[in-house]
Amino acid sequence: MSLIEFRELSFSWPGSGRPAVDSLSLDIGEGEYLAIVGPNGSGKSSILRLMTGLRVPDSGSVRVAGLDASNPDNWRNIRSSLALVFQSPLDQVVSTVVEEDVAFGPENLGLGRSEIGRRVDEALEVVGLSEERRSPPHFLSAGQQQRLAVAGALAMRPRCIAFDEATAMLDPPSRLSILALMDRLNAEGVTIIHVTHDMTEAVRAHRIIRLESGKIAFDGGPGRFLEALDGGPGFPPAARGARKAGLAPIPGEDSRGLAARMVAAGSMPGASMQAISTSTPAGLGWSPDPAFALEAAGYAYLSGTGMERRAISAVSYSQPRGSLLAIVGHTGSGKSTVLQLLNALSRPSEGRVLGFGEDPAAPGTDLRRFRMRAPLAIQRPESALFEQYAGDDVAFGPRNQGLSGEALVARVRSAMERVGLSFDDFRDRRSRALSGGERRRLALAGVLALAPEGLLLDEPTQALDPEGRELVLKLLLELVEAGSTLAFSTHSMEEAALADLVAILRKGELVAFGPPDELFGNSYQAEWGVGRPFAFELASELAKLEAS
Amino acid sequence: MKDLEFFRNVSVGQYLESDSPVHHLTPATKFFAITMFFFALFANTGVAGTLLLGLLVALAALAARVNPLSLLRSVIPALPFLGFIALLTLVFQQAKEESSVLVTLGPWQLHSAALLAIALLFLRFTAVVMGIGLLTSVTSEREIAHGVEDSLRPLGRLGFPAHEFALIIAIALRFVPIVAGELEGIVRAQASRGGDFGSSGINPLRKARAYLPLFVPLVIRTLERAEILIEAMEARCWVGAGRTRYATYKKARGEDLIRAGIVLFTIADMAFGLTFGRRLP
Repeated sequence: MSLIEFRELSFSWPGSGRPAVDSLSLDIGEGEYLAIVGPNGSGKSSILRLMTGLRVPDSGSVRVAGLDASNPDNWRNIRSSLALVFQSPLDQVVSTVVEEDVAFGPENLGLGRSEIGRRVDEALEVVGLSEERRSPPHFLSAGQQQRLAVAGALAMRPRCIAFDEATAMLDPPSRLSILALMDRLNAEGVTIIHVTHDMTEAVRAHRIIRLESGKIAFDGGPGRFLEALDGGPGFPPAARGARKAGLAPIPGEDSRGLAARMVAAGSMPGASMQAISTSTPAGLGWSPDPAFALEAAGYAYLSGTGMERRAISAVSYSQPRGSLLAIVGHTGSGKSTVLQLLNALSRPSEGRVLGFGEDPAAPGTDLRRFRMRAPLAIQRPESALFEQYAGDDVAFGPRNQGLSGEALVARVRSAMERVGLSFDDFRDRRSRALSGGERRRLALAGVLALAPEGLLLDEPTQALDPEGRELVLKLLLELVEAGSTLAFSTHSMEEAALADLVAILRKGELVAFGPPDELFGNSYQAEWGVGRPFAFELASELAKLEAS
Repeated sequence: MKDLEFFRNVSVGQYLESDSPVHHLTPATKFFAITMFFFALFANTGVAGTLLLGLLVALAALAARVNPLSLLRSVIPALPFLGFIALLTLVFQQAKEESSVLVTLGPWQLHSAALLAIALLFLRFTAVVMGIGLLTSVTSEREIAHGVEDSLRPLGRLGFPAHEFALIIAIALRFVPIVAGELEGIVRAQASRGGDFGSSGINPLRKARAYLPLFVPLVIRTLERAEILIEAMEARCWVGAGRTRYATYKKARGEDLIRAGIVLFTIADMAFGLTFGRRLP
């Protein structure tokens, strides 16, 4: 008997016209390692909620270990055998002490204190947080917080753990620690369901299901999945590399494995190696008339209170006009702070910030004008949409600049067209009813409508599906092509490699700054802790093989 | 240039980890202390009694290694509001027989009673803010919840849902920094698009409209965050009833003495205030 059975399951979110899950049938067996992929809004999250009874289907049925998930009497049994780990680490923390948070599930099951203690010890041991058991969760790193969420799930002694995009907000090392945990738990017999937008992560699973509009569009092993994906959006860089070398992609293969195969097959890289030459473009270092510059800038949050926390110290760099800068580093390394300083949303505690030659802290600077000259799109900028209709929200900025009438409409139109939302089709659509990817692009149109000279973006591709991610990246490249200066933060080194310049932050300090070819090539240092793009990994493995 | 940083003036919910003797008291004792504090404060002990209470909070803060001045910071955002009430008091003061007239300006007279009322208003408000600020700096959210639960447990026998009530308080407190954080993000996003939230005249309608770009997304985001938390709790079998509790608290040595001391101090303060302080006319 399978652990989870979906039969002709249909479900619509209240107020949405179309079904999120559309007569879906599926069997998930005990001990499986399953990845679920699909665009934003394809029904991935919905089916996780349906199988735990957090939502009840409109028609059809879900059974977990033979129990009907829409019957409230079964919820306790189902939820203790089928645990969920959500996307945002801190949003699922209930207590303010690590061990008590892990105890929350067992407490709800009404277990005795000594039994809870045993389970807490065991769960913390598995995720490697025993040392932090007395700490408040918000003092942990994002990766540790997510491991805490896994411990909270494990303390229920579940047969299955479902991860709902649980790696989407993590930096590369934290991601790897969660993925390794999934592999290990599965090896110990726990069924793993991993909902993800990252195809490299998906092909670690033994079975992959792709959902489209609430229906199953693909169900099969990782090998067949890669064939079906066929180089489309999100195609894993490793598979892309293999194809380039004329080899068949092997799911889960790392750079070392591929390098060895390439040497064995005598397929020498040629093109890919040239891309990784270490020539340094001219004009680096201190450009004479930079778009953005930080001069020994430092910043501390809550300075002067008992909770002062240093965000960045003595960061200096300058970004030439017309260039694209990627800012990378661990969660908490200071990426967002740098962007906020550049937009004059915070004032540096020490040092100086320059935007297009202007110092926002200088007396007499018109801050509103300064900010609108190179606005910041915050993380998840769609959370700040406020107008009922899409077009009105985009108009907020240009209205603040004093535009009205024809000029305003023209500005809004061009901004919306730029992000691929047709003005005539979308201006009167309700902003809240748009899909996740559309809302992100609408929010970006809201800053583009200021016709800015520069643009600052804090993790603009976070939590987007591969198609949405490609659209946003294409937009950034087009804007730079058209002469704008852009700086964006990201956890993806593949994205960073697209930029002209990369700034690497570590614990609030700038540890490297330069073109990606140089930083990820010869100058690369593992202790930066950011990892590097696959192509560079591969080149270095090939170089090692050639040398030996 | 102003920093768009909202946590600065939110001292509620900013627990400061420390090893001080005050931190080590059981939550129930801390709750007992704050309850008695409010009791003394509202027993109308006049300026002297209130000052003494404020002094006590400052001393307790020092013992807890919390800077008393940082507790005072939370009063700043409320100053305009307090000033407004003070103004109303001055305009609409009522002559009382026993209060003397200090200044006369045409038809308007300044009574000593009004000045005393204003002084008490500021003092009491400051004392309340400091007391709550101190409690939340030495008591984590979970301890507050557990303290409420332990203090209300006797009522539980009468059918009062002490445990649920405690959880509601814990979650409400947990949401203070979450809402402040969301608001910070939204203000940044709108300020970046030229939003100006400080200066749109005094027309209240226009002013309210200027804040829509903050208010609408803030409410939506807060509800979204609440829903995420509820789902996370339900997914971990939260139903409310039938829970057990993992955390336990051992009374520190001499804690019963401290409780007795609190009672004595409350009585002493009231006696002192009623004897030496001038009662509100």
